[in-house]
Amino acid sequence: MSMLLLSLKALLSHYWRYPWQALFLLVGLCAGVGLWSAVQVINSHARASYEQANQVLGTQAHFWIRAANGTGVSTQDYTALRRLGFREVYPVVQGIITTATNQRIPLIATDPIVLPAEVLQTNTSTVAFNDLAFIQPPYQAWFPPDLANELNLTANTRVLLKNGQTLPPAILQTQAQQGRQVLLDIAPALKALQRSTLSYLAVTPLSSERQTQLEQALPPHLRLIPNRQSLDLTQLTQSLHTQLTAMSLLSFAVGLFIVFNAVRFSLWYRRPTLRTLRLIGVSVQTLMLAIGLETVIWSIVGSSLGLLIGYGLSQILLPAMSASLQSLYGANIGSHIILQPTTVLLAWLLTLGGLIIALALPLWQQLRLPVLPSHSLSTYWLTDQRTRRYLLLAAIGLSILALVLYPLISTLIQGFILLGIVLLAGAWALPSLLALSLTLLERLLPKHSFQGRWLIRDGWAQLPALRTAMMALLLALTANLGVEALVGSFRTALSDWLEQRLSSDLYVQGSSSFDLATLRANPSTATWLKAVNERTQVTLRYQDQPLVLRGLDHSAPDTQELGITQALPQTINLWRNLDTQQNWVLANEQLHFLGSKQIGEKLELQTPQGLKPFTIAAFVHDYGNPYYQLYIPNRVLKTYWPQPEPWNISLWLNNPSDLPKAEQALLNAGAKAGDWTVQQTIKAASMKIFERTFAMTAAINSLTLWVAGIALLAALMAILQERLPEFAQWRALGVNTREQWLVMSVPLLLWASITWLVALPLGALLSWLLIHKLNVMAFGWSMPLLWSMRPAGVLALMTLGVIAITLVVVAWQLKRQLPQTLARLGGQL
Amino acid sequence: MLELIQLSKAYRQPDGYSTPILSNLNFQLGAGQSAALLGASGSGKSTLLHLIAGLDKPDAGHILIQQQSLTDLTESQLAQLRRTTISLIFQQFYLISTLSVADNIRFQAQLAKRYNAQWEAELIERLDLTSQLQKYPHQLSGGQQQRVAIARALLHKPALVLADEPTGNLDEHSSEQVMALLSELVKQAGSSLLMVTHSKVMAGYLDQQYWLKSGVLHSKESA
Ligand SMILES: Nc1ncnc2c1ncn2[C@@H]1O[C@H](COP(=O)(O)OP(=O)(O)OP(=O)(O)O)[C@@H](O)[C@H]1O
Ligand SMILES: [Mg+2]
Repeated sequence: MSMLLLSLKALLSHYWRYPWQALFLLVGLCAGVGLWSAVQVINSHARASYEQANQVLGTQAHFWIRAANGTGVSTQDYTALRRLGFREVYPVVQGIITTATNQRIPLIATDPIVLPAEVLQTNTSTVAFNDLAFIQPPYQAWFPPDLANELNLTANTRVLLKNGQTLPPAILQTQAQQGRQVLLDIAPALKALQRSTLSYLAVTPLSSERQTQLEQALPPHLRLIPNRQSLDLTQLTQSLHTQLTAMSLLSFAVGLFIVFNAVRFSLWYRRPTLRTLRLIGVSVQTLMLAIGLETVIWSIVGSSLGLLIGYGLSQILLPAMSASLQSLYGANIGSHIILQPTTVLLAWLLTLGGLIIALALPLWQQLRLPVLPSHSLSTYWLTDQRTRRYLLLAAIGLSILALVLYPLISTLIQGFILLGIVLLAGAWALPSLLALSLTLLERLLPKHSFQGRWLIRDGWAQLPALRTAMMALLLALTANLGVEALVGSFRTALSDWLEQRLSSDLYVQGSSSFDLATLRANPSTATWLKAVNERTQVTLRYQDQPLVLRGLDHSAPDTQELGITQALPQTINLWRNLDTQQNWVLANEQLHFLGSKQIGEKLELQTPQGLKPFTIAAFVHDYGNPYYQLYIPNRVLKTYWPQPEPWNISLWLNNPSDLPKAEQALLNAGAKAGDWTVQQTIKAASMKIFERTFAMTAAINSLTLWVAGIALLAALMAILQERLPEFAQWRALGVNTREQWLVMSVPLLLWASITWLVALPLGALLSWLLIHKLNVMAFGWSMPLLWSMRPAGVLALMTLGVIAITLVVVAWQLKRQLPQTLARLGGQL
Repeated sequence: MLELIQLSKAYRQPDGYSTPILSNLNFQLGAGQSAALLGASGSGKSTLLHLIAGLDKPDAGHILIQQQSLTDLTESQLAQLRRTTISLIFQQFYLISTLSVADNIRFQAQLAKRYNAQWEAELIERLDLTSQLQKYPHQLSGGQQQRVAIARALLHKPALVLADEPTGNLDEHSSEQVMALLSELVKQAGSSLLMVTHSKVMAGYLDQQYWLKSGVLHSKESA
C-alpha cells in the first residue's frame, strides 16, 4: 500500500515540475468533454422540450372541425355543438398579428373554461388558467420568454398592433409553453385579429361511435378532419440530433488526440522516475496500479471541469439551437437547461475510456522496455518508422472497408460510422504522407547543402512527436471544410429555392376571407395583375406518414419553374400540359428517398370516391420539408376532392409600383389588413432564420479548430521541453537564432501545409458523403454540392495563425529558459 | 590571444546570499599555448569556461579574445564567435543524435564555412574514425564519441579550444589515448587550449597548469 502511495506521489510530482503538461492534459480533456457534453445537454434538453411541445394546444387534438369552404367556424356553430353535449370540442383561434413596428407574431387562443379534462391534465400551461384575470377584461396576453425577449417586452405592456388594436397586458412566462406564440382568451384574440370566426374547433380522442354521432351532428358546411399532421417531434428531429451528436463525438475525438499526445509525453518524461521506482523494487503491477489511479484522478478532474465548460457552452449555444429546431420543424425548446445525472456519468465514463485508450499503448510500450538502458530520442524515431507503416496499413484496410460498406449503408447511424471510418483512415495515413513530404523535400534540396540535410534529419526526429498533433489538426480541418461546404451548398440551394418559391409579389393567407373571383370580376384588376397561383391542400396519410396534396395553378410562373431534380421529358410536359390520360403528379424528393418511389410509379390515394391511382411525373426539390408532398393541378385535384382546404394565393404584379393599387383591390375583395404579405420580407426573414440555424454548427466547428490548435501548441511545448538542452548545445556550437528557428519551423510549416492539402480532398469527400448520403438518408432531400475554396483559404490562414501563435509562445519560452540551460551546460542536467 | 581581466562572478543562492565563485581573476593565454585548469569540485572551473565561451555573463571584469571584448558583443556576434573562433568539448560529448558521424564532424566547419577536406581526412585518420563515418552517435562507444567531438572541434581550426573534463567519462586507457591525440592535434591546428581536468596525469599533457582556488587562479608552482 505504502509502495503504491509512494509511486503515485512520485508519478504526480512530475506535473508539479512541468505544469505545462498538466495544463495541456487538462485542456485536451476539457475540450473533448466540454464540446461533447454541451451538445449532449442541448440534445437531452431539446428532447424534454418536445414532450412538452407535443402537448401544445391544438397539436394534440385528434380531430379538427373546419369549415368546408376554408373560412372559419362561427361561434354559433360552436355553441350549438356544446349544447348538444359534445364536451370533447374546444375552440381554437390561430392567426398572425402584425405589431405597429411590423413584427409578425403567431397568436393562439382558446377558451380555458371549456378545455376538456385530458387537455388540462397534459397541458402544463393550463395550470394557471384558473386565474380569472385571463378570461376577464382587460384579459391577459401570455408571452413565452424567447418571444418576449425578441419583442423586448416588459410585463404588463400592451403591444400595439398595426391594425390599430392593442393586445391585453403582457404576462411574461418562465417557460415556453405554447411554442413561440402569444396565448390569449378567445375574445381578445378575435378582436386583435379583427375576425368574428374561430379558426377551427379541436376535438379530443373520440370513440368511433362518438365520432359518428359528431359527424351526424355537424351542419353541412362543417367537416370533421382527422389531425394527420400531428407528427411526433421526437421522431422528426432525431436526424438533427444524431448529426449533432456525431459532431460532438468528433470534437471528443480531437480532444482524445490531444490527451493521447499529452499522456505520451508525460510518460516519456517520467521514464527516469519509472525506472528508478522499478530499481528500488516497485513491481510492475504496483506501477500499473499507480498509473491506473492517476488515470482515475485525471478522469474525475477532467470530466468535472469539462462538464462545467460544456454547461457554460450549452448556455451560449442554446439560442442558436432553438432557432435551428424552430425553423426546421417548428419545434420549440425552452431556455432552461438541466444537467442530467446520466450526462455526468457518461461524460466521466467517456473520459475514463478515452484516457485508458490514450494510456494503454504508451504504457505498454513503456513497461515493456528493459529496466536499465536509457533510450534516447534518436532510437525512438527509428522505431517510429515501423509505427508509421502499421498506421498506413490500417488506413488502407479502413479505406477498403469503407468502399465495401458504402453500398450497404442504409441508416443514419451506419452513415456516421462510415464517416468515422473515412476520417480515421485519413488521419492514420497522414504520418506516412508527412514522412513522404520530408523525403521529397530532401530530394529537392541541393545535395551538398549541409544545413538542408541537418534540417531534414532533424525533421525526422520531430515527426513522432508532431504527428499526433497533425492528425488532430487534420480531423479539425476536414470537419470544418466538410461542414462549411454543407452549409454553403445549403445556403445557395435554399436561396435559389426561395427565389423560385417566393417569386410572386404578394402572398395572401388561405385563412383570409378574400375572394379571388370578386377580385377578378373587377375590370381594373387586369391593369395590374400579371398572374395568380391559387394553392389549395388536402392532407392524407400515405405509408403511415402525412402526405400533403398541394393543388396549384399549373400555368402560374412559379409552378412552371419548380426545381425539378429528376424527370422524364415527356412526363413533365404531360403534367404541365394537363394531360388527362393519367393523373400526373409531381412529388417531392422525400417520396423518392424515404418513400422509395420512382418516376412513372403509381400511388393509390384515398379520395372521397375511393382509392384512385396517381402517377409520378417528376421529382422536385423540397428543402427541409419533413412531409411527403405531391403537386397536382387544381383542376385535377378538384375532380377528386371538390372542396380542398384553401392554402394561399400568390399574386404577380405587372409593375412593383402597382402595389398600393393591388392592396386596395385586396381589401375591396374581402381581405383584411395583415392577411397578405409582401414576399420580399418573407424571403429576408427566411434567410435570417436559416443563418441562425447553422450558427450552432458553425460555433462547434470553429471550437474544434481551436482545440486542434491547442493540440499543436501542446506538442510543440512538449518538444521544446525535451529539446531545450539540445538547443543549448547547438548554441554552444555556434548555431545562431536564425538557423535554429529554420530547423524548428520549416518541418512544422511543411507538415501543416501537407495536412491542409490532405484536408482538402478529405473535406470534399466528407461533404459529399454528408450531402449525398447522410442528408438524403436523414431528411430525404438532396441539393447540389457546392465546393468553394474560400473556406479552405480562411482555414489556411487560421492554421497559419495558430502556428504563428504557437511559435511565438515557444520563442518566448526559449528566451526565458535557454540562458539558464546554457549556464548548466556540461553540468548534470 | 585570451585575456581575463579582473573577472568576477557570483551566484545568488536561494536564501538570498550570493556566493562569489570568481573574484577579480586575471589570466592570459598566448596563441598556440595550452593550459590545464585544476581545482576542487565546485570551485568554479566550468563557470569560468562558460564565461569565456560567452554562454554566461560575468558580473564584472573583461574577457578579451583576440583583443575583442566579449561584453561588447551581441547574441548573434557571440554565435558567430563560437562558430569561428572558439570550440567547446564537453565531458558528455554532445553530438547531434540525428546526424551521422561524418555530418557531426563537419557540423561547425560547415556552419563557419571553413570546411577543409584535406584536414578532415587527416583528423579522421588520426582519430581512427574511418570505419565509423556512416554510423550514428548512439552506435559508438564513449571514447569514439569523444573522438568525434574532438574532430568536430578542430576541423575549422579555431583559435581557442575550451575543454571541460573531456576524458571524465572515459576509462584510463582511452583517456590517455584521447588526451594524447587532443594535445597533439590542437598543436597541429595551431589553436590555444584551455582544459578543465581533475587528473594531474591529463594536466601533464599541457604546457601550463593552473589551480582555481577561492575565486582566483594560481599557477602550479605557487600552489
Ligand atoms: N546556475 C547556477 N546557479 C547557482 N549556482 C550555481 C550555478 N551553476 C553553478 N553554481 C555553483 O557554482 C559553483 C561552481 O560551479 P562549477 O560548475 O563551475 O564547478 P566546477 O568547478 O566545474 O565543479 P566540478 O569539478 O564538480 O565540475 C558551485 O558551487 C555550483 O553549485
Ligand atoms: Mg564542472
